[in-house]
Amino acid sequence: MALVTGTAAGDGNVAHGGYLAKLAEAVARWRWDDVAALRTVGVERMSAAQVRDAILVAAGFNGITRIADAIGIRLDTRTEQASTALRTETGIDGFAPERKWAAV
Amino acid sequence: MNALADYAAAELPVAAEVAAAHTATLHSIAEPGAWWSGADGLAIARETRAAAGQHDSEDVLPPIAVEAIHRIRNDSGRLTRRWFDDLIDMGLQPEAYVELASVVASVVIIDTFAQGVGLPLPPLPEAVAGAPSFERSDDVVDAGAYLPLARKGRAHILRSLGLVPSASQLFFRTFNPSYYMRPNQEFALTRAQVELLASRVSAVNECFY
Repeated sequence: MALVTGTAAGDGNVAHGGYLAKLAEAVARWRWDDVAALRTVGVERMSAAQVRDAILVAAGFNGITRIADAIGIRLDTRTEQASTALRTETGIDGFAPERKWAAV
Repeated sequence: MNALADYAAAELPVAAEVAAAHTATLHSIAEPGAWWSGADGLAIARETRAAAGQHDSEDVLPPIAVEAIHRIRNDSGRLTRRWFDDLIDMGLQPEAYVELASVVASVVIIDTFAQGVGLPLPPLPEAVAGAPSFERSDDVVDAGAYLPLARKGRAHILRSLGLVPSASQLFFRTFNPSYYMRPNQEFALTRAQVELLASRVSAVNECFY
């Protein structure tokens, strides 16, 4: 799970995990030169369809994270239960300090 | 319908479903919305690109709308209730904010994908004349967010834009091809790979959800 936070190398028990984490970050940060280089590498290592879908997923989450933060939604029980282990291991809850919802 | 999101020239094969969804979104943005006109919707889209340094900023939208667009586009991980309340106090209608957020996030998805596969930004259509409908839903509930969410729905994110149903439809039509939003959705990646990508993007954007 350290792949998620960008604090580890390797694949993290996910096929091509290291590559996908780098691609996701490059897409999310809009680093197009890096994305272009990673596309070339990815097509050689994986397939064009896999690289395309990776960019599609990353692009989608680049939008939906903005909706979550713009509306200030809180975690619902269903999502919390489905992601407990992930949240514990990645520390992603640290991105939701209570002051985010403080009115004053 | 003119295929604005034309991905045929991409070096990676893009499904027609994705191009169709993105094209439909761009056309919808140019049509009269619930709280913004078609011209306003296009101005929001262009300002989203301006926030990315990919378009000249225009003096068309109210300053509070421009502030909202730039913050949602460039610094969404640090948005707070206080910032949101200030926008509303300065006169931005909550429903207009919901629709604005939907347009900004939809444009982010389309532009990120197009550039990600090595293509230029899709062109924007001409505005369709007409007045906003001023549609809002009363079937909403306070769930601790900055705005009320749709009363019904599986997860908060799916209910998040429920105050303005057409804004919710606009955004999720754009987002749906990017995740498991329908039972038969398939990717050339494993579920673990998809979740890794989603989680990494959330972490980069400092989003807890």
